[in-house]
Amino acid sequence: MVNSAVAGVAESGARPRSTIGILRLPRAQRRALVSYLAALLVWQLGSTSGRWLGVELPLLGRIPAPSDVLGAWSHLIVDPGYWQSWLASSKRVAAGFTAAVLTGVPLGLIMALSPPVWDVVFPVFELLRPIPPLAWVPAAIIFWPTQELSIDAVIFIGAFFTLVLNAVSGARSIDPRLIQVARSMGASRANILTRLVLPAVLPSVVVGMEVSIGITWEVVVAAEMISGGGSSRGASSGGGLGFFIWNSYVGGSYPQIIVGMISIGIAGYLSSAALRVVAARLSRWNAPYGGRA
Amino acid sequence: MPEPSARTQLLRATLGNVPGLGDLSSDAVDSIVLAAEEGETEDGQLVYGGTEIVTHLYVVRAGRVRLERAGSAAERTRWAGSGETFGWHTLTGIRGERATSDGATTLLRIPERALLQALASAPLRREQLRASVGGRAGAIGARAKTSSEAQASRIFRAMVDRAFQWFRSPAPYRRLLGYALFFGGWYLTVEAWALPHFDRLPGITEVVHEWLSKDPTFGLSVYTPEYYAHIGSSLRRVGIAFSLATALGVPVGLALGSSTTFREYVFPVFELLRPVPIPAWIPLAILVFSGAEAPIVFLTFLASFFATALNTFLGVRSIDPKYVLAARCLGASPWQVFRHIVVPGALPFVLTGLQISVGVAWFSIAAAEMCSGQLGLGYVINTSYTEVKFPTIVIGMLTLGILGFATSALVRLVGERLVVWRARELSMERP
Amino acid sequence: MTSGAIAWRPAGTQRAAAPVLPRSARADALPRRRGAIRIADAVKYYGTGESRVLAVDHCSLDIAAGEVFVVIGPSGCGKTTLLNALAGFHSLDAGSIHLDGELLCGPGREKAPIGADRIVVFQNGALFPWKTVLENVAFGPAMRGTIPRTELLERARRRLAEAGLQGYEESYPGETSSGVKRRVEIVRALMNDPAVLLLDEPFRALDALTKAMMHEALIASYLRTGSTVFFITHDIEEAVFLGSRVAIMTSRPCRPKKILSIDIPYPRGRETVTSRRFRELVAEAMAAVHEEALKAYALGEKEG
Repeated sequence: MVNSAVAGVAESGARPRSTIGILRLPRAQRRALVSYLAALLVWQLGSTSGRWLGVELPLLGRIPAPSDVLGAWSHLIVDPGYWQSWLASSKRVAAGFTAAVLTGVPLGLIMALSPPVWDVVFPVFELLRPIPPLAWVPAAIIFWPTQELSIDAVIFIGAFFTLVLNAVSGARSIDPRLIQVARSMGASRANILTRLVLPAVLPSVVVGMEVSIGITWEVVVAAEMISGGGSSRGASSGGGLGFFIWNSYVGGSYPQIIVGMISIGIAGYLSSAALRVVAARLSRWNAPYGGRA
Repeated sequence: MPEPSARTQLLRATLGNVPGLGDLSSDAVDSIVLAAEEGETEDGQLVYGGTEIVTHLYVVRAGRVRLERAGSAAERTRWAGSGETFGWHTLTGIRGERATSDGATTLLRIPERALLQALASAPLRREQLRASVGGRAGAIGARAKTSSEAQASRIFRAMVDRAFQWFRSPAPYRRLLGYALFFGGWYLTVEAWALPHFDRLPGITEVVHEWLSKDPTFGLSVYTPEYYAHIGSSLRRVGIAFSLATALGVPVGLALGSSTTFREYVFPVFELLRPVPIPAWIPLAILVFSGAEAPIVFLTFLASFFATALNTFLGVRSIDPKYVLAARCLGASPWQVFRHIVVPGALPFVLTGLQISVGVAWFSIAAAEMCSGQLGLGYVINTSYTEVKFPTIVIGMLTLGILGFATSALVRLVGERLVVWRARELSMERP
Repeated sequence: MTSGAIAWRPAGTQRAAAPVLPRSARADALPRRRGAIRIADAVKYYGTGESRVLAVDHCSLDIAAGEVFVVIGPSGCGKTTLLNALAGFHSLDAGSIHLDGELLCGPGREKAPIGADRIVVFQNGALFPWKTVLENVAFGPAMRGTIPRTELLERARRRLAEAGLQGYEESYPGETSSGVKRRVEIVRALMNDPAVLLLDEPFRALDALTKAMMHEALIASYLRTGSTVFFITHDIEEAVFLGSRVAIMTSRPCRPKKILSIDIPYPRGRETVTSRRFRELVAEAMAAVHEEALKAYALGEKEG
């Protein structure tokens, strides 16, 4: 790390522990805690500035206060509709993301390994890739029979391009010389696939998945807002956290907006964590010949 | 000029015959030679038995080695003669092989670590990449060379410096085929055959006609001033947001990477806010910022900021500490280290981050404009949908795509100017 | 079927003969006498608690000012630890290091300060890729502000020319070959007139031809500036060729097992390598190293 190099190369050795007060945590955790508290304090004071200061602070003043948010959340936790929103969004994420993985990764591999396929597919791919996923929403709504499917389709598009690119990058990193050496010594095709190709591709695909899951959540939220809240087609879109946030705004229950935002953040974090567990499982039998990815 | 010893030359020649290792640079070959060991065997002597997992690559200098694999479907005996290789089971996955020498032999033994290091340190030259792409698939599938693979070897010119940039495929016929399939498919499914569901979509002829007509039915084409008003509006917002995000994000990223104190205080909050998807901020932004412009710019700024700051941070972290140590050895103060080592060293990553940032900016703008605002391409797409002006939807989408691509390319070009040393380094053919 | 182990030995590359040094380099014309290092009872552990490893065990070395002191030993035996302690990258757990009589690190001062009096040439090269060769070479004095800029650039150009590198000034390191990079790095270090030049297997990854040229370049530079040179290597012939004294270290923990005085005068050239004295010294060194290598192998050392 540059930090430690600037300060002096870090060495092993026990770090002296703080004996001050109850905070016997290592320094990094202590400072994090301090930041969180400071941020929370600023938020609370700023958002309630209208009440205790008499004058509302320009931007902070309009944010719902943490205390109100906490209150709203305590009501929502027992509200089944809130959890249904969670479920609806998660289902969409799972559906769209899985579909994207199952189509994108094989396509990427085929594209990388077969120049004819590459030449045919890549130009069109690059043509469509810069179009923001959300721009596909109206087209998707027109095309797909149900609103649910159209949201899933948009989610799919959002994750698809990244996954393909990462799969290609992973396939590219396979050193063909290793393949030659292995074949000349009689390794079977199956062996080469499992010992050389897959381990090289896996890290890139995993990175691609982690990036895509983030994009997926962005798209889900936006798609739910747009199709559920933005269009005048009627509000019964099956909920979801994005719709919940928009609805809260439209309905004037502002603290709920923040509850929704935090919920989505948590949901995103949980899905990334789930992905990492899956990735760790997969890498367990990963042979050490991964490419330079 | 002193000559390499005869021994070295012999070893190099032997290695050169190993498939796959023949075209390594002399530096790489020498590093393998350094790690290689030699040994002689007598007739019938066991080189390795069936239980061990062999991690060395064996090369036969002289003589012949018998390789037996018991237990497989056909009990096969292979032979490895002069110049041929065997062993390295961790690569091939072969298990339970037994190698005995048939007559007296001289063998070379190379640990796999040396080989992998040599291969990793000697990236393939462009021509090799070209030839090898066909070879890669071919090697795996073990198919005979077909004419298309011969074509493939001729064709391919890889841009080795980036994952996916503009790929100039000198096979224009294939590219045309791709476009033809896509646009043709669009035309056929929507207009000619009018398949169910597809028939509701705007057809390609409709869109093109609308886009290029002087008096468009739905009011938006390359000839209408409103079109450019919307483009200008979106472009302006992206421009402001991107500039602000860069101006703020790069210093924050640099600080995060170089100062432990700053990082430990600021990064936790940063990481807390970052995972919240940008669209989730929309209602809050509308609430907090007055007017129609400010929320949109803020949202786009936010998305770009996170991308820029994070990538800059990663860029600083990726700098090899040895450069910092070398600079300090030479007498640089911490501030000088920052200015002369950290900033230039992180620059390539920063520029990649800026490209990502531009992409993210367009994503956010689309979302933000679709939910609120009166001008802009996102707004166009949304209202075209609600007002049932379907071809305009596609016009909006394609325009967004073009703008996104153009701005990203612009950032990349500017970046390449700034980081000349990197481009030169990467484009160097190895001697 | 004959059983019995196969005797594996390094697939030896015989050392390429070194070219003759320029006549101007005179063995006794060493301009400066500073950089005397005294390492006393150095002790260094790695890791903590029960699993900690003793890397250096009461190692003491006395290095005279201006000599080329080469350290050889089996891998992982702690030689780099000594270099790192000298440079100020690591601390010592016990013992002390003095430079020209002043305390570098020891009781009261855990780590030596990193400074331009002890410059390291790194194994994998640390030329700044984003600066040209000329900017790299001028970096040290430029940062410390010791020489005015125009004079500095002129001096840098001269030094590069002396090392046979004219024409490379405006190139970036990424565009040059490894041999050129190494020479530039040595020029960059010596521009600062360090008391000690620390080299950690700097020529390890080079091929035999380039290595021979590097030896020539290093000796020529050494004869010009007279810095103490602390050089770590695996290559016995390289060690005997370059060094005025060669220390063979024991396998972990690190301690000098045997110190050979190389009584062959500088400059040394092609004829040195075939001389009888050289061969005797190499044989002596090899015997000592081999003993330690066997021990290290038995301990299961892996290439560090």
